[in-house]
Amino acid sequence: MLLSKDRIGGVLLLLFCVTYGLLSQNIRLLPFQENVAFHARTMPEVLAVLGIGLSLIVILFPGAAARPELRGYQWAKCALFLVLMSGYGLTIRPLGFILSTSLFLMIGFALLGERRPLTLVLVAVPLVVAFWVLMTQGLDVFIEPLPGFLKAEG
Amino acid sequence: MLEGILIGLSTALTVGNLFFVLMGCLVGTFIGMLPGLGPMSAIALMIPIAASLDPSAGIILMAAVYYGAIFGGSTSSILINAPGVASTVATSCDGFPMAKQGKAGKALAIAAYSSFSGGVIAALFLLIAAPFLAGVSLAFQSTDYFALMVLGLIAVSAFAGKGDMAKALLMTVVGLMLSTVGTDQTQGVPRFTLGMIDLIDGISFLLLVMATFALSEALMAILKPKDDAERLKEKEASENLGSMAIGKHEVKEMAPVIGRSSILGFLIGVLPGAGATIASFLAYGTEQRLAGPKKGAEFGKGSVRGLSAPETANNAAATGSFVPLLTLGIPGSGTTAIMLGALIGYGIQPGPRLYIDQPEVFWSVIVSMWIGNIVLLILNLPLIPYIARVLAIPSRFLLPLILFFSLIGVYFVSFNTFDIQLMVIFAVAAVVLRFLDFPMAPMILGFILGGMMEENLRRALLINNDSWSFLWERPLTLSILLIAAVCLVLPFATAQIKRLKDSVYGRTREGD
Repeated sequence: MLLSKDRIGGVLLLLFCVTYGLLSQNIRLLPFQENVAFHARTMPEVLAVLGIGLSLIVILFPGAAARPELRGYQWAKCALFLVLMSGYGLTIRPLGFILSTSLFLMIGFALLGERRPLTLVLVAVPLVVAFWVLMTQGLDVFIEPLPGFLKAEG
Repeated sequence: MLEGILIGLSTALTVGNLFFVLMGCLVGTFIGMLPGLGPMSAIALMIPIAASLDPSAGIILMAAVYYGAIFGGSTSSILINAPGVASTVATSCDGFPMAKQGKAGKALAIAAYSSFSGGVIAALFLLIAAPFLAGVSLAFQSTDYFALMVLGLIAVSAFAGKGDMAKALLMTVVGLMLSTVGTDQTQGVPRFTLGMIDLIDGISFLLLVMATFALSEALMAILKPKDDAERLKEKEASENLGSMAIGKHEVKEMAPVIGRSSILGFLIGVLPGAGATIASFLAYGTEQRLAGPKKGAEFGKGSVRGLSAPETANNAAATGSFVPLLTLGIPGSGTTAIMLGALIGYGIQPGPRLYIDQPEVFWSVIVSMWIGNIVLLILNLPLIPYIARVLAIPSRFLLPLILFFSLIGVYFVSFNTFDIQLMVIFAVAAVVLRFLDFPMAPMILGFILGGMMEENLRRALLINNDSWSFLWERPLTLSILLIAAVCLVLPFATAQIKRLKDSVYGRTREGD
């Protein structure tokens, strides 16, 4: 099977290993380090060779011939969740923990099919507030709860 | 040894640590029960909390989560035929048919008693084996450690199964590659940081584990959601468990199985790479053969022996896998690799010196195994009807929560939003690779061992005046490397021999 799962994975990892091998040449070495048996580049170079070799083995001698079946998977929903997670990372500081996390959870629940607005709020907000109290009071881990503009100016 | 046990008891039996064992078992069971989330994800989710505790308490918590998650995995295998982890697949062979016969409660009780016995007996073996092996391994040098790590990495890949060894080895190399990102420890040179300050300290192991296990598990569940019929089945199973009492006849049947499977499970667990999955299947197969034709035919249809054997063996193997971790500092499985990462995070280097330098950590882990198993039996078993309700929580609420706990777990350690973005990138890569059937556990093992491997190799070369001759001149190093070579070649060789046999046999048949 030309486009088996093993072969596609092998090609992707081959690209990764080749890039890794090329980047390993950017590791700076001081002049006296170049002649020692083991320097900062040794391990990466060995790994790059091993990785390229193993990728080629996987591509040339794949263990299974199964083809990837793309139908029946919710790719768009998965992509939306990736965007949501990335967005959460960008908003957690400016919006504060409680607002950004509540939004993250509510959008997540809604994406997976929860349509009742009251349920969205009643599940997400108390949980987030309880978690924040547990972290700050119970485990002494402080995280800014509110957006910057709502903080009292000191 | 008695002194050690007393140290362990005095550490593990404090109110705080007992609380962590209780909580760990409960939370582990809860997480392990969620289909798809196994012990590795459960431990990973606990690391941010464990990091805020002292080392003994943190390790006790993680060990308790480990047994709890294995127990929880068995529960979902029995009730809904959805093993959370590979090591409980064998459990579902007879556990699920029993549940279908209306004996779910009995099946859960048999699984709990077997797990308990397997865990307790194996902890006894660990008590004897670990100090002995720690004493022996004091003679190990950097060269031997390097060879041991090579053996550990190859062994994990060697057990990956037919056709999957090259993929597992490749993933191990990818893990080793990721471990080289950041500032080189000896020469202080930045490597693969792509000019980003956030990568100067390297990739956090917690971040990688969370992204490749917890996040990608949840994303895979989003990618392929369950249909309504399946959800209904889970809801019904969590509500109707039946009686949990087991009779004399069943105890009589279980006892010899537990004895044999405990020994087998422990021995398999000690081997690096073999782990609980192989132990459970091997115990299942062994008991089926020993049961004779009549009893053997009951296997797969709800046999007590068929359920007891893998449950005993997987718990015994989970305990056995602590032997190489505690005595050599080499994790034998993905789960113990995560624990090793956590220990290193505490500034503790597991290995023979742990037994001498930090006996309270060493012994409290062993003692906590007994306490954890007792807790699982007397607390979790009666609570199962309630904990099983977790299976009825709609996934539309559960999955975003898992994503949230994974992201915030990493963020609360570093307080760096770059880590969240990096997690998303790793999660995408992990989902793609899992979709293509590439294993993740060897990558984590490679990542954890990468730094140590490089350090030991560098030290070995320094001691030997930059000469590589230590690889063949030191008998212990050479022996370990030869075993690693055998592990590497054996699967290929057996496959070739089988192919040769088949062709000869086929030709003879044709000749007839």
